[in-house]
Amino acid sequence: MAETNEEVAVLVQRVVKDITNAFRRNPHMKELILSGTLNPIKDLHLGKLALTKFPKSPETWIHRRWVLQQLIQETSLPSFVTKGNLGTIPAERTQRLIQEEMEVCGEAAGRYPSNYNAWSHRIWVLQHLAKLDVKILLDELSSTKHWASMHVSDHSGFHYRQFLLKSLISQTVIDSSVMEQNCLRSEPALVLPKDEEAAASTEEPRINLPHLLEEEVEFSTDLIDSYPGHETLWCHRRHIFYLQHHLNGSQLSQAMEVDGLNDSSKQGYSQETKRLKRTPAPDSLGLEMEHRFIDQVLSTCRNVEQARFANAYRKWLVTLSQ
Amino acid sequence: MKLYSLSVLYKGDAKVVLLKAAHDVSSFSFFQRSSVQEFMTFTSQLIVERSSKGTRASVKEQDYLCHVYVRNDSLAGVVIADNEYPSRVAFTLLEKVLDEFSKQVDRIDWPVGSPATINYTALEGHLSRYQNPREADPMTKVQAELDETKIILHNTMESLLERGEKLDDLVSKSEVLGTQSKAFYKTARKQNSCCAIM
Repeated sequence: MAETNEEVAVLVQRVVKDITNAFRRNPHMKELILSGTLNPIKDLHLGKLALTKFPKSPETWIHRRWVLQQLIQETSLPSFVTKGNLGTIPAERTQRLIQEEMEVCGEAAGRYPSNYNAWSHRIWVLQHLAKLDVKILLDELSSTKHWASMHVSDHSGFHYRQFLLKSLISQTVIDSSVMEQNCLRSEPALVLPKDEEAAASTEEPRINLPHLLEEEVEFSTDLIDSYPGHETLWCHRRHIFYLQHHLNGSQLSQAMEVDGLNDSSKQGYSQETKRLKRTPAPDSLGLEMEHRFIDQVLSTCRNVEQARFANAYRKWLVTLSQ
Repeated sequence: MKLYSLSVLYKGDAKVVLLKAAHDVSSFSFFQRSSVQEFMTFTSQLIVERSSKGTRASVKEQDYLCHVYVRNDSLAGVVIADNEYPSRVAFTLLEKVLDEFSKQVDRIDWPVGSPATINYTALEGHLSRYQNPREADPMTKVQAELDETKIILHNTMESLLERGEKLDDLVSKSEVLGTQSKAFYKTARKQNSCCAIM
């Protein structure tokens, strides 16, 4: 590939002239990468440059995913390493790739409003490279918070946060059911997460899901009050409310029942409670709080759109409890 | 959310005079920047020209919102922002800037001033600080003074024009726009995206 600055400049110019075809995957391109002639890391770098000019370019993002897939499949180095008795985390090399992709997506998201292609690529990376590692999900949730607060109409950005929260919920359920299986099969003397020594050595992030969701609600309230009239913020609130109160019945409480796992005699009882809890119970306290929030907004807002969104949200809440 | 420009102008009887301006064109590609800046000056002047004294207005043009405040003493300010930036904060900024400007620059200098002759240096700092509305104006949620119902809303630049007036003509006659900017405008117009230059 290009070595000198001049060669790079020519290459970039050719890419810029015909972005639709610059990254079209054809047999030739595939051969070049697989034969080692084309360095995938350099190819990713070229893509990164191209995205500064064409932040949406679907072909560039699609090609990027193909290259990343080659990188994690082809090498003999492991993408994941085991850590303690609770599973795997991404290897350092994979972590670096993930971080780079987060950065590239972040830049592209800033260059074009509601850049769906950039955000869905970001999600893909978390699913396929990071395998929804909980620590990475938590990091992403906190590191994208400021960006979201400065892009209050960026629907894709908020959808990303919804994805993160949903994934955290599902990952916690998986972890706790995996732990449940391990515990029921093994000796009572097995070290459990609530044993402090074990917790320290495995470095497993202790996530408090209800607290995370509560924080997101506060975040939503803060933004809706500061920036009246943005539909994206109200849509986001609906999603969070739904996650909080409708998954409450089944998944959330199951995830928080880690403490009950060491007692195998409880197994029968917990099956029963699980079945009962699966039917979503309308959380009346939550609903009440939301109605109070709507009242507060309507009484103080002077923005016509804001009033419209608040009323629509109220109607939505009503349909939910029917 | 973003602020692109902040300008102080004087609405004279004959014409509108630009006194001072600050711009943030960092989000535009390098070659577009000077044209974008010119268009923002052109737009700011046009808006003040077509707004009455003692009024506040917000003019929407595609993804941009231009907020204008023309005081009764003919001093005027224009903020060009995106559609996420809270208008309440934009008007707070305008009020603050014009107040400060009127205290630092003698009234006698306003009708004949220009960015080169006017001695007021705080504009860049204000523009930069107000990029983050919550840091710049923490009380934004609570601000009760401004009556938002009095702000005139225009859905397009066109609605500022007189009957029969065309934006194309104003652009080609403008002294503020360079040849390249006018050429960019023509191309953008052909592609049916007015002011897509910005």
